[in-house]
Amino acid sequence: MRGSILIIFFMWVGSSFSQDTIIYHKSFSSNILSYKNLSTSISFSGYYRFLGFVRNQQETFPNNSGKTLMISSGDAYREPMFLLKLNGKTKEKITFAADFMLNSLYKGSSSDFTQPLTLNLGLNLSTSIATNHGTFNLKSGGVSWYRQSRLTVWGNHSFNRISIFERRPQTPLNKTPIDRYSNYYKSGLVDQGIRYGSRAFQGIFIQGSKLPLNFSLKSVIGKSTFNRSLLESSDNFTSSFQLKNTLNTNFKVAYNYLSSWADTDSLGGERRNYFIHTFEFDKKWEKIQVQMELGIGNYKDPINKLGHGEAILLNVKTAKTLKVPINMQLYRISPQFVNVTGNFLNTSVLDVFPNVEGVGTTVRTPYQSPIVGLGYPVNNRQGISINADLSLGQLKLNGGIGVFAEIDTSYSALSYIHNVNSQTLSRIYVFAQNWGPYNALNSTYRGVFENVNIIDTSIAGLTNFKKFFNTIEFQAKYNNKIFGKNYYLFCLTRFNTCQKDFSFFPKIGKQALISQFSEEIDFSIELSEKSALVLSYGIEKILGNSSTDKGDSPKATSTNTFFEMLGFDNLYRYTNFRNQKNTLFGFGLDYKIGQNAMLFYRYNQYRYFDPNFVENHLEGWEMMLELKINF
Amino acid sequence: MKRKLIQLPVFLAIFFSTFGLHAQINENIWFDGFSRSYFTRDALDKSLIDDTISAKNTSSGYNLLDLNTHVNPIQNIEIFAQLRIRNSFGSFFGSGTEINVRQLKAKGVINNKIRFSIGDLFLKQSKFTLYNYDEELSVYENDMLKFYRDIIHYENFYNENRWRLQGIQTDFSFKFDRFIRNLDIDFFVTRPRGSFQINESNYSSDLIYSGGSILSNINKRLKLTTNYVNLFELSSSGTKNISVRNPVYDISLIHRYNSENYHIQQTLQTGFSKRYWLHSELENAVSDSISNDTKGMYFDLENKFSKQDSSLFLTLGFRYVDPNFRSAGAQTRRLNYDDINRNTIYPFYTNMSLIRPPSMFDIVTDDQLYNQDLSSVLMAFNPIYSNILPYGDATPNRIGVHMKAIINNKNNLFHAKFNSGFFKEAIGQGTSDKRKFGLISGFLKINLHEFLNWQKKLTISASSENEITQRGGKDVSKINFFSHHTNASINAELIKKFFIQASYKQLNAKGNEFVTQRDNYGNISYFTLTDVDQKDHMLSVGMLYKFKKNLYAKLNYSWWGMTSFDQNYLNYKYNRLLLILSVKL
Repeated sequence: MRGSILIIFFMWVGSSFSQDTIIYHKSFSSNILSYKNLSTSISFSGYYRFLGFVRNQQETFPNNSGKTLMISSGDAYREPMFLLKLNGKTKEKITFAADFMLNSLYKGSSSDFTQPLTLNLGLNLSTSIATNHGTFNLKSGGVSWYRQSRLTVWGNHSFNRISIFERRPQTPLNKTPIDRYSNYYKSGLVDQGIRYGSRAFQGIFIQGSKLPLNFSLKSVIGKSTFNRSLLESSDNFTSSFQLKNTLNTNFKVAYNYLSSWADTDSLGGERRNYFIHTFEFDKKWEKIQVQMELGIGNYKDPINKLGHGEAILLNVKTAKTLKVPINMQLYRISPQFVNVTGNFLNTSVLDVFPNVEGVGTTVRTPYQSPIVGLGYPVNNRQGISINADLSLGQLKLNGGIGVFAEIDTSYSALSYIHNVNSQTLSRIYVFAQNWGPYNALNSTYRGVFENVNIIDTSIAGLTNFKKFFNTIEFQAKYNNKIFGKNYYLFCLTRFNTCQKDFSFFPKIGKQALISQFSEEIDFSIELSEKSALVLSYGIEKILGNSSTDKGDSPKATSTNTFFEMLGFDNLYRYTNFRNQKNTLFGFGLDYKIGQNAMLFYRYNQYRYFDPNFVENHLEGWEMMLELKINF
Repeated sequence: MKRKLIQLPVFLAIFFSTFGLHAQINENIWFDGFSRSYFTRDALDKSLIDDTISAKNTSSGYNLLDLNTHVNPIQNIEIFAQLRIRNSFGSFFGSGTEINVRQLKAKGVINNKIRFSIGDLFLKQSKFTLYNYDEELSVYENDMLKFYRDIIHYENFYNENRWRLQGIQTDFSFKFDRFIRNLDIDFFVTRPRGSFQINESNYSSDLIYSGGSILSNINKRLKLTTNYVNLFELSSSGTKNISVRNPVYDISLIHRYNSENYHIQQTLQTGFSKRYWLHSELENAVSDSISNDTKGMYFDLENKFSKQDSSLFLTLGFRYVDPNFRSAGAQTRRLNYDDINRNTIYPFYTNMSLIRPPSMFDIVTDDQLYNQDLSSVLMAFNPIYSNILPYGDATPNRIGVHMKAIINNKNNLFHAKFNSGFFKEAIGQGTSDKRKFGLISGFLKINLHEFLNWQKKLTISASSENEITQRGGKDVSKINFFSHHTNASINAELIKKFFIQASYKQLNAKGNEFVTQRDNYGNISYFTLTDVDQKDHMLSVGMLYKFKKNLYAKLNYSWWGMTSFDQNYLNYKYNRLLLILSVKL
């Protein structure tokens, strides 16, 4: 009280009886004085994305808890509802960026449901230095997206031959709803954003351009999503480096290096490491372009010392101006050539994947002899594929065929990625390994793959034979107008098989260990300038032979009930092994609310069923309402 | 959860207020701040054989951005918020991410007369009332390791020997045309510690720290200053009926004389303190009482001489600080030797998993060892690293003289510092014999590039700090303790803005000393005899690239450890690789 009176007294005195009150001279202050600095400029961008989701399961796996209806807001994956990208630049042209992620579960006012403010990816700091010998960019932090070469650090940026019924959070907004489908029709590629073409890294990034003699360089040292340890403080690093020379606009050569090392125990006594040297060549003539990357790698860990292994990727493509442009891809990647950040799947060393709960599960890709589509190389494999395009008026056709073979025998198992209902299944149990009634399903980011055991094994647990893979992909795209409105039809057929013997074409019937056939049809029509209706149908059939898992149904079932019903005995058979059928039917509406704001509605019915594995039966429907506003 | 609820509105308030604006255009909102990428990899030295249970190496790092948002809604008012965004190295997609409000305050001038600040304050008064003394081993820090010190200071809010406190502060000034020239008045009220729940039914009390200052320039030569601070607990804000009181009163008279060539200043400063615990609101109508009551005074006379061209500074002084002088604002230490405070790097060592005591390297590099909270009792210290003035000039139970000199060569060829002090205890501790202290230190930096007339910089520097403590009397209480801290570094600019650096630090301590144990009320409870014969070392080599004025990158490798000559099993050696990118926005 006495203190308060004193304060009031002095303040009163200060404003009434003082002879002269001065504030700008250096009077005593117990507090620090601050001065205005040169300001740093800040700008913001980002989006708001509401995703309302309802799933009603009419058929569930037996171990289901009893909850069959799910209502949620927000993506099943870690995706921002409100993404606020901060971009700053100082007066010295040092840039910094952070992307804030704000989510709300919309589950009531309880503070238990309050979501913390966090970063979507991370924090980056970068600067550029111009010298007489070139321009150097230095970046630190992360996550940053890094891309170098296919055998070292790479991801597929754009996707062809997929169903575009489903949307991803990164899917950009187009000027009008129908543009998404017309772009796919015209270019054949779906741009999914930079993250799909690169790998996520944290660390120090250096890039040099305009160097003497047309050289350029880039490098990173740090951690990728695939380089994560059980203990965060344990060593697990990757460094990568590229030196490139542009001899002329049509001829480029580059040297690439990648090294990865990690502690495999908590004391740091044992270590796993691998390195890669590659040479890249890119020559373009008038009608033809040849790209080649040739490399050598070496892998060792406390158990496996694989030694040196080679890899080659050769891509020969003709100009798109030709009537029938052709693209031929040839590759051979030895089992000793191990890498988890390149544009190929590692299948020879399982241990190289981080298998940390909550961490490694997010990145574990199929590793047991995966059956993959064209354009997805795998190590311990070699093969060739040819793709061609043809336009017949409004009808655009493209297709490809590939044949691949293992270099050495491998795990007595196979894995295949579901083409139909893949995202739906992955949402049921996000990032889970070996789930489902037969522990065969594995969820990755917006996808599911399934493992198949092979019974013909050696004592070492490997198959007694090399596996051979065949793939055929065919896509038809058609555009026309009805009532003055554009419509687009996309038909995608994919057929993959794996068998014990070499064959130029996929084998049908009992000879194939696994055969996977899928057909996806997407139809979209412009209702108005602001709206588009989309329909989708997908069917997938997977058959296994007697060398694979046998089902638990005592009765053999028909591989094709339709032909069975019609009595075409030559077109079906009875089997006790895998006999899966996946179906999807969906429809949706894309609606433009205004500039940079769109509404998307999706409904799909799904069924995942195998009569021979009686507990493999899922059925239900999903409904999604997405509102996306960019700023 | 409550913290999150607070963070979110602050975050939204900051960003949405700026969303429609462009900071570079709108003068009312402006930004600055700081950003840092930091990575370390520590490893056991290969020569170490008696530690097979610690990880051979461990790495850690982070990226952080402290974004300062300044908002001037009206003239003479500023709202300031510092938002910290930090993500750990090796954590992906949101894990390891922290977003915190690090500072929040408003300040301004009311009616063009009264300056005020509310929120996070950085306060300083006199050296005996409120002053945040430098930590040990920091006096002559070499250029190569200065960044560690900068980080420690930044992370712990050590700013110009001020304590960071949260509360309200105001100051104003009067100017007179007769009798005195001006009168400056300053007040603050802060809360260093808020009430918190101890267990289901008990709450601690709010701890308040308040103070005021009145300064007057009587004439051009004479200045009179009075300061008052008080640290006290509000017992009614908690459930404890015992609360500390620690008022300190301070007065000083400063005489200044300026001539064309030199400046002389004499300061006469004295004051006293009280500290006691008040027992109030007792049951059965028992009247209030006090316990652990101590009173103490101090006296300081300081003479400063400096040349106007800054080539020479001399200080000579005499100081007496009573054994019972207690001032929380001036005697709280930065380095916290609390038992629960562990080293960040290798907190345990040897196959017996012993707790590794902080070494010279930890003191130089580990910001987690430092303290930001005022303490009402004297904090523990380690005599190896500071035994003479562990609480700065306010160290109690000291009487003696001190001298300082700084010499700056006019041609910038060299820069030298000298510091000495000779003290003894005012009363003996545990015995009637008193400790005697001797402190001598020196620093020399030679700018070789100036000698050689080179454009690029080449500097060498060296320093030496010696502390000796002795006490005579009976054999059982005799003390003979010596510590010697040496420091040498070289800094060579190879190409423009790119430096190669090397430094070596060593600390030798030998002898015996009695470490004082105190109870919760600061009373001495025991003296622990400590025999020491150890050497701490730290050798560093590295590269520094100063990209721009506010941006540097540094790569450093250090070999460091401790050697105990009488207990070999306690020896340790470690190595560290460090990479840092620092930007002032």
